[in-house]
Amino acid sequence: MEFESIEDVTCRLERAGYIPSREIATVVFLAAATQKPILVEGPAGGGKTELARAVARCLGRDKIRLQCYEGLDEAKALYEWEYAKQLLYTQMIKEKINDLIAGADSIAEAVERIAEQEDAFFSERFILARPLLQAISSDKPVVLLIDEIDKADPEFEAFLLELLSEFQVSIPELGIRKARHIPMVVLTSNNYRDMSDALKRRCIHLYIDYPEPELEKRIIRLKLPGIDEALADRLVCAVNHIRELDMKKRPCISETLDWAQALMVLNIGELSCQAVSDTLNVICKYRADAQLVRQSMDKVLSAK
Amino acid sequence: MIDRLIQFAAACRAADLRVSTAELIDCHQHLQCVDLVDEARFKTVLRANFAKSRRDQAAFDRVYDLFFHGPGAGEDESPQQMDAEAVADLFSRAGIGGDDLDAALLDFVTGDPASFLQVLQDLDQQADASSASGVKSNLGQLAGRMQVMLRINAIQRGLARLPDGTGQAPAAASISRRLDQARGLLTRENRPYNDGLRQVRSHHKHYQGLGEQPFSSLTPAEIEQMRDVIQQLVRKLRDRMGRRFAASRRGGLDVRKTLRRAGRFQGVPLVLSYRRRPLRKTRIVALCDVSGSVWSAARFMLHLLYSLQDCFSSVHSFAFVSGTTDITEIFAHNEVNCALEKVLASPDIGFDALTDYGEVFYEFRQHHMHRINRKTTVIIVGDGRSNYQHPRESILAEIREKARRIIWLNPEPEAFWGTGDSEMHTYKAHCHEVRTCQNLNQLIDFIEELVL
Repeated sequence: MEFESIEDVTCRLERAGYIPSREIATVVFLAAATQKPILVEGPAGGGKTELARAVARCLGRDKIRLQCYEGLDEAKALYEWEYAKQLLYTQMIKEKINDLIAGADSIAEAVERIAEQEDAFFSERFILARPLLQAISSDKPVVLLIDEIDKADPEFEAFLLELLSEFQVSIPELGIRKARHIPMVVLTSNNYRDMSDALKRRCIHLYIDYPEPELEKRIIRLKLPGIDEALADRLVCAVNHIRELDMKKRPCISETLDWAQALMVLNIGELSCQAVSDTLNVICKYRADAQLVRQSMDKVLSAK
Repeated sequence: MIDRLIQFAAACRAADLRVSTAELIDCHQHLQCVDLVDEARFKTVLRANFAKSRRDQAAFDRVYDLFFHGPGAGEDESPQQMDAEAVADLFSRAGIGGDDLDAALLDFVTGDPASFLQVLQDLDQQADASSASGVKSNLGQLAGRMQVMLRINAIQRGLARLPDGTGQAPAAASISRRLDQARGLLTRENRPYNDGLRQVRSHHKHYQGLGEQPFSSLTPAEIEQMRDVIQQLVRKLRDRMGRRFAASRRGGLDVRKTLRRAGRFQGVPLVLSYRRRPLRKTRIVALCDVSGSVWSAARFMLHLLYSLQDCFSSVHSFAFVSGTTDITEIFAHNEVNCALEKVLASPDIGFDALTDYGEVFYEFRQHHMHRINRKTTVIIVGDGRSNYQHPRESILAEIREKARRIIWLNPEPEAFWGTGDSEMHTYKAHCHEVRTCQNLNQLIDFIEELVL
């Protein structure tokens, strides 16, 4: 199931519904070949998360996703003891515990006997595995997607380092857990803040920029097979022109796809001033941006 | 192969990219996995390992092109190594030669750029030297550059005037090309690529009228009115802040407390209780330009920051015109409006002087750099008008390395940025976020985002 060459990566990703640029294919191949995490950066909506999904699909692996946010900590990312369950069990087996310490002469001896059973309480049974632990203790190799790592706190980033370089985590009560299969790790970042050097050092870096017009056309055709060729061409030209405007949020490939779909649903075969104006909300996420596009409508429509 | 790679890594490091040995090893390993006939692929491998953020990529591309495609790349297969003597001969026949600059250019043309680069380096540092002597301007630097440029032009003209027919036309053309490169080096201005920059342009209309009025045109009565509005706002923000943190403060299980409570139910732990996590608050360092036009914006910013002081773990503020003054103390011990008066009356600020951002950053680095760490948000309020003095944006880049965020609030409308003596576009390249902050509504937007 592993990739054989860069061409193989391109081919299989395409079959999985993702058209990679040469750069993307190269980096994915290298990451798979050397078992290194990929750090993907780029504008929102450029297909960063989709890449991880496509890689999982074409390798036939499960995808485990960890969405980062401010305040994310080990308990939510790695594992948590199921306290409620532990306490409940203690209650239910109270009798048994009484039996256990029945013959004890002193408190010390009773404690000693219970201590021998400690393992029963701090065992796999009571661990609630969160995405990171799931990823490394899974029976089959998986793709681990750590989404928007820039939103997590620097402390969390530091905590990830052990996982990313050694593929192991330490749980104080159970010892070190080594990964059964090394997962393919994809981290995505929107550049909200810079990652630490230590993290960057452990990853292969990939920047997914706005796609080349040719690539974008192919992506549209792949995702929306029924689209009119001429319309797709005009659409890509127009979007590329819109991207050059000084906008707050430039439309990305996902917006282009939404737009194309909107036009198809509305049965619009020709980009006219009216049509663009009506469907502008799909690609412009701010009112100021929409106004900007309206102002330069002529140029957008005549863009080649 | 490995030698070339190490050389290239050294070149990258010289260009301020952080390339560690581990990355070098990885890169070497990766290169063995791919077919190197394809250059795009080779470059991708190098880039994925050496340039690990979008801002680094621009620098990487430059180094890559210089190293593998620039003059001097692959020394032995360079198409035509120019004969130093022949060129010297040409130069002297064209009536050029004599002083150091000519010699440096001659060296540059014949393939040894060191002395010409030294000239450029000297020019760059000239501005720094003169600022120590009290006279501050980068005119000397400009004049120096101009002189070099004129000399290059003169040489090109001289060579063009040489009588033809001795078969030196192709040589003259390639010399001319080299001289163009020299001029390119001279006039190039580096501005780092800043992809993470967030530029906020629109704002919510929280308050009609007063909220939209530019700070600079408020009457005293309106300033009073503004105080009430700010008070009200502060209360509202504190409320929201409190509610928000209460929800997100749940920590791990508090065993002791849970067992204590279990006592009430015959030892059955029916109710679990959790530890509360301490709040994580931002540290703020504010740098406020208090010269004439900008002061009105800075005062409201300071007013708000200090009213909300308990929302941050610490607030340090500095006022500047041409030098920085720590005004944290003044605000700590006085009621806000009184403190504002005191700052204005403080003698250290030097109201009459011209604003000099370069000097301000320099002083800040000398004395206050230790206040900045990963938790610090640096807020700069100012118009970025440096009166044509050296902007020293490299210090801002240094601050960026250490701080969590740099946010620049500019009280000028965006259309004026970069006009006249405004260095806003220079500084913008090093900020995480830039905003116009002309009126109360824009300020409120900013504060809300900062606190919540």
